[in-house]
Amino acid sequence: MRVVFLIMLASTLFAMLPGFLGLSGQATAHHILGRPAYNLNEDSNTPPSMQAEVQVGQYQMTYMIYPAFPQPGEGARVSLYIIGIDDGVPYDGKVAFTIREMPWASFLGDDGHEDHLGTQPPDDKVYRQGFTVPEAGDYLVTARFEGNGEPYVVDFPLRVGIPPLLGPFAYVGAGVLLLLIVIAVVRRRQAITAKIRTAQSSQSAQR
Amino acid sequence: MTPQRSFSISRHLNKLRWLSLSLVFAMLIALPCLHVYQTYVAAHAYDLIAPSEKQFYDVMEALTSPLTNDPATDLDAVKGNTWSGNFWGLKLSDPLAAVGQAAAGMTLYWPFLLTALIPIVVTAFFGRIFCGWICPANFLYELNSNLAAWLQLIGLKTGMRRFDRRIKYVVLAVGLGLSILSGSIMVAAIYPPAIIGRELYYAIAQGGFGVGMVFFAATLLFDFFVSRRGFCRYLCPGGALYSLLGRYRLVRIQRQVQTCNDCQKCNAVCEFELDPWHDGFGQECTNCAACIAICPTDALTFNLRLVDLAPQGPGHLGRQYRREHEHLDRDVDEAAA
Repeated sequence: MRVVFLIMLASTLFAMLPGFLGLSGQATAHHILGRPAYNLNEDSNTPPSMQAEVQVGQYQMTYMIYPAFPQPGEGARVSLYIIGIDDGVPYDGKVAFTIREMPWASFLGDDGHEDHLGTQPPDDKVYRQGFTVPEAGDYLVTARFEGNGEPYVVDFPLRVGIPPLLGPFAYVGAGVLLLLIVIAVVRRRQAITAKIRTAQSSQSAQR
Repeated sequence: MTPQRSFSISRHLNKLRWLSLSLVFAMLIALPCLHVYQTYVAAHAYDLIAPSEKQFYDVMEALTSPLTNDPATDLDAVKGNTWSGNFWGLKLSDPLAAVGQAAAGMTLYWPFLLTALIPIVVTAFFGRIFCGWICPANFLYELNSNLAAWLQLIGLKTGMRRFDRRIKYVVLAVGLGLSILSGSIMVAAIYPPAIIGRELYYAIAQGGFGVGMVFFAATLLFDFFVSRRGFCRYLCPGGALYSLLGRYRLVRIQRQVQTCNDCQKCNAVCEFELDPWHDGFGQECTNCAACIAICPTDALTFNLRLVDLAPQGPGHLGRQYRREHEHLDRDVDEAAA
């Protein structure tokens, strides 16, 4: 019995020896804070900055961006998970990713310049596309694939860099408000005079 | 040299009204800011937020620290907007919110309806005072109106079309009817003060305007290019309800014919194109006091009456009255001779 115990102790110490000597390979964390490791970028243990779920045609898509706040000039990744709505079976074809900056005049039909990011096969049922964007801004990532003979083109938003505290509409709104207030204060007397003149001319026209 | 008039507080009420409108508008900007700050504090999020949001946090902390040591809890004291809100425990709602909720729900939910009681009582006394003194949309509409007037002075034409004032009562009735049919408060979708409250919250707390802002911008353009103050005069469902509630208001402006000189400036500055010169205030008057402020002879004052005075004729300091009475005096003199 004592011999068996000594053999087990020796085996354990022997197994631990490489670790003590610093010879072991780098351990890969399986979970970080309870989140499955496959969800996370190796360089980032943060949750995604955006997670969007959409249903298009026969597929349901989950779209995520890592790390939480992609920075200009630094690597980031889009993960796309596609399953059939009816059967829940993951899509296994290839998905092409493109990116384009969203111009401020996008609502006027200006789609901006599009860059091809890559075409990805599924990696553990998830389509992962790395990218590096040099400038901060609002972008659109487009995923294209073919399912059951039909083309699918789906746009997803992407914010790179810290968003400004105030957007262009806020500046326009604040500017208009300021203009109105300045005119109301500085040109108050002229505005009243104008109202009186308009009323008088309106009355004389009625006569 | 113009003679100095004695100080009269009623002449300065219009300035006080602008102060009130400005404060209400500032409150609608401040409340979402406070709410966002409160959320950050409650979530202990200072180290997780972006640098620009940290600046915002610091500013809000500096502003609120003299008032509260526990913003996560204490800032719950003020919530909402002019549509419905909780102000240090006093719950207030726009009468249109109460009526709209009753119509949409087809039930009278008294705890909510009672929150409109104070505004209703105030309206019964002071008329459409909400429109003139509180409405955040009116703040913008009046600024817009001033801009249009100034542009007219420099030669640009702006909209001056007139419509039937009764249209807004139809809008109110249709809105309430649709609320009954749809089960949703439809009037809130086209009621500018409710839109402004919502959209400011969306813009500040959620980072973007909603579709309501497009509608509101359209009303501003309508006022500018089609009809001066057209939305308030002809289309606003809330204005219609306040007009009905304030029809027999107790506090109303009255012309003193003895001191009126018929200059008609009161008619010119009235944003609702009422006819103070002919004693025609009606249920549409918002008691804004702009006519009192402009009157050079202090002929307009607040008075306690349930109805307007009947038309009193030309002002006694005006040419028409003097001409007529010179004739009369001469006739009397001639008859006596």
